[in-house]
Amino acid sequence: MIRWASRPLSRRAILRGAGGAVIALPWLEAMTPRRAQAATGPIKRFIVMFSADGTIPTAWTPTPGASETDFTLSPILAPLAPHQADLVVIGGLTQMGGGGDGHQTGMGGMLTGQLLNAGPFAGVGAAPAGWPMGPSVDQRIAQALAAPTKLRSLELGVQVGAADNWGRMIYRAANQPLPPDDDPASVYSRVFADLHTDPAVLARLRKRRQSILDGVGAQFTRTSARLGAADRARLDAHLTAVQEIEQRLTTDLVVSNPSCHDPTIMSVAATANDSYPTVGSLQMDLLVMALACDITRVASLQWSRSVSQTRFSWLNITEGHHDLSHRPDSDADAVDKLTRINNWYAQQLASLIARLKATPDGAGGTLFDGTLILWSNELAKGNTHGRIGAPYVLAGSAGGALRTGRYLAYDGQGLPHNNMLVSILNAMGVPDTTFGKTDWCTGPLTGLL
Amino acid sequence: MLRRCSALLFLPALWTAACGGDGTQQESFPLCAADPGPAPLRRITRFEFGRSIADLTGAPASLADGLPPDEITLDFDDIVAAYSVSSLHAAAYLDAAEQAAAALTGDSARLTAIAGCDPTGGDATCVAGFIDAFGRRAWRRPLEPDEQTAMLQIYTDTADPGPTDGVAGVVAAMLQSPQFIYRPEPATQPTTATTTTAAPPSTPLEPYALATRLAFLLTGAAPDDTLLAAAESGRLGTEQGLLAETDRLLADPRAVDLFVHVATQWWELGGLATLDKDRSLYRTWTDATPGALAQETQLFLTDAWQGSPTLETLLTAPVTFADADLASFYGLPAPSGAGYQRIDLDPTRAAGMLTQGSFLATHAKADQTSPVLRGKFVRAQLFCTPPQPPPPDIVVMPPTVDPRLSTRQRYMMHIVDDNCAVCHQQMDPIGFAFEHYDAAGRWRDIDGGQPVDATGMLTGTDVDGALDGVPSLATRLAASDEVASCTARQWFRYAFGRSEQTAGDLCTIDKLAGALKGPNGDYRKMVRATVRMAAFRNLPTGGSP
Repeated sequence: MIRWASRPLSRRAILRGAGGAVIALPWLEAMTPRRAQAATGPIKRFIVMFSADGTIPTAWTPTPGASETDFTLSPILAPLAPHQADLVVIGGLTQMGGGGDGHQTGMGGMLTGQLLNAGPFAGVGAAPAGWPMGPSVDQRIAQALAAPTKLRSLELGVQVGAADNWGRMIYRAANQPLPPDDDPASVYSRVFADLHTDPAVLARLRKRRQSILDGVGAQFTRTSARLGAADRARLDAHLTAVQEIEQRLTTDLVVSNPSCHDPTIMSVAATANDSYPTVGSLQMDLLVMALACDITRVASLQWSRSVSQTRFSWLNITEGHHDLSHRPDSDADAVDKLTRINNWYAQQLASLIARLKATPDGAGGTLFDGTLILWSNELAKGNTHGRIGAPYVLAGSAGGALRTGRYLAYDGQGLPHNNMLVSILNAMGVPDTTFGKTDWCTGPLTGLL
Repeated sequence: MLRRCSALLFLPALWTAACGGDGTQQESFPLCAADPGPAPLRRITRFEFGRSIADLTGAPASLADGLPPDEITLDFDDIVAAYSVSSLHAAAYLDAAEQAAAALTGDSARLTAIAGCDPTGGDATCVAGFIDAFGRRAWRRPLEPDEQTAMLQIYTDTADPGPTDGVAGVVAAMLQSPQFIYRPEPATQPTTATTTTAAPPSTPLEPYALATRLAFLLTGAAPDDTLLAAAESGRLGTEQGLLAETDRLLADPRAVDLFVHVATQWWELGGLATLDKDRSLYRTWTDATPGALAQETQLFLTDAWQGSPTLETLLTAPVTFADADLASFYGLPAPSGAGYQRIDLDPTRAAGMLTQGSFLATHAKADQTSPVLRGKFVRAQLFCTPPQPPPPDIVVMPPTVDPRLSTRQRYMMHIVDDNCAVCHQQMDPIGFAFEHYDAAGRWRDIDGGQPVDATGMLTGTDVDGALDGVPSLATRLAASDEVASCTARQWFRYAFGRSEQTAGDLCTIDKLAGALKGPNGDYRKMVRATVRMAAFRNLPTGGSP
């Protein structure tokens, strides 16, 4: 891990003015040289967006034209029309996974390309399952990029519910779920503290926390040594987490992008069903600002959870999402509502893209230029729990690594989505040749990059 | 055992303490000692963290709300096998510990009560005394010399600009350390065994670890000073001393909270706080309803615990608690008196927890009742025989609400289709008995334009028979040995933070069920009996896995 040296200037990028208003200091070119962006292109950033319960394939699949760049967006994807040239819509892959019930399998395998271990979570019609056997693709990216950011990655959510393998998609490593923070107020205070704390206070706080966390770490080591192997592994994992937050203390936030400012936050009932759109919007604001401030380069936004029962009352839909998703294809009412729900999520992705495009990155472009977004779902279809033809949308080119404005149909080829994850790694500059369960993966996805 | 009880006949109070009617007093202590089962490392739950922090520092228990949620499995928040840890956990523990430390260091009276002096004055002896005294409470045992040294070092490193900061630094460090967040029970070595003796299956837990188990089991919080003193004096080492502390803690108001905490998880009420209904169909449902329903159940459980927490009370008592708003929600006359009042209900309609809105509304859809969810609850949570889930290739869908059809009519598919019937015959006929209660938990006489038909059938149990309405079901459940055994199993899982795994575990559950359902048995006696089990009292030889 590269540690960025502490420079007085760096912590003074903003000051709190009278009345609590936040004033950005004038942009100082002197602060930029470390970026060396001209030589390497824009900073690469990766975002996962998740929505649940499968899609309506007939309403999701674009209409192909004469070539892969010639396609018409579907009713569900229509809100992405302003960004069509920046998309790669990928159909026909098989979302690999195994262990647990359909939703557990899908949620656990979606970003890891792995099986679930046996474990304590009793699903429907399957042996109880635990966590996946390997890391999620975003975490592999974070590890490989080893960016000098305060946070290795940032997991955000919207009403993600209980802590179990239906509600976790990001895995630091096998059996290490990273819970998304679904409370915007918590995210704000935890992630952006450096931007709204007096620098002198912050410096003292860091020194103090380092002393405390050093001491805490020593107590973990001491206690762990007296326990049996299984218990010791639990404490050692906790010690690793303590060391990770201690590492953040020694990593200065170097604000080199004038777009970075202390975000505004509003009070919201974070768990109330009807707050769902508002919470999501706040989380997107925070996510984009975390990228703008270079607090992290790897982030995720998990809307609800697999088996989501969100009630889209703002779309005049009163049934729970999961209940609707189990209705048969012949149920026109359900198909209409599910189409509108998935269309709403496409609107959210479009909004996220628009926010990134509207945010300068400090080097002449926008945050979107170096970004790659993966929008995925734990299932292809809710009423079969099928995972063949899972709906993937990529947005952004990761700094030109990905040719966008395409619809790629892999239908009937039986290709594992692991291959797509390999190509995502490659687009992000990680030269891996396989990802996830090795006997599922046959290499990069032909034709994607 | 019998001999000792006889000796105590002249001391009625001690008789009660040592042999107090939990149904296990005839058996040698500890029970089921041949095989106490595994003892994996426990982490304190958010519930326990908040209560312990509040006791220790005076900070609000709600500080725990900032921690990531506990993994819930087997319906409980304390199952070790499901824990995970991440940097978000570490960051949240840091934040909570700092806030708690700030609360404590701003409270000179509390500091003085802990240490006998105010350590924020910076006196070295007082600081050292505070570290010992606070450490003993927070880590639930006396500090060892190297721990004292380490905490003093943290004081020195963080006493900037002044001693108050150093004290806060120590408190924050202690509250993030494994000795607080986890419950390490260092392996006790078996006493030197001769070559002819096989190693014993278990060894007694050392007194402070036992005190910690006892406090979390009975009060959901760290031991208080009295309990720590009992550990220190060796009193906890005797059955009599252990039961005396058990009875003291069972009388503590915090034991009620613990009972409510466990019972609401057993009854699957975790989703109540965020529950909502289709308000076009359920117009009396408001933002305040979930909180009111939770309050009702909490008061009912508290009343039961303080009175007679038998299965019969929990399942059949025709009483509840409501204020004017909640009474109006249910369509009941407003209670006399302000606030929540105990209300007698019509025994032909009401039956304990089974007819409370908290249970009925969480086991229903947003726009209709669910005989499936209600029937499944009875099978899974009261009989511990969850029906086989539907095969993955079946298209599962609740029927569309049709104002011309009753729920029963809309669920006919489950009978006419053999694929559905094989499992749904285990659930729906129980769930139909709840049909007088709508998806919000209110009484109704009409469903789909027709008089409600609440007849059903209970099959495959020790209390089979025809049903008509919830009370007819409740009476059978309260009489069932299988329900008692299942209730004991649920409690076992919470109490030990794991699923039942060994023959010894089954022995333990059997004893617990006896304390619940035997002569004069009730839930409190079952909780009390737990401490007499080898699985509670002892550690497997060789310690934790």
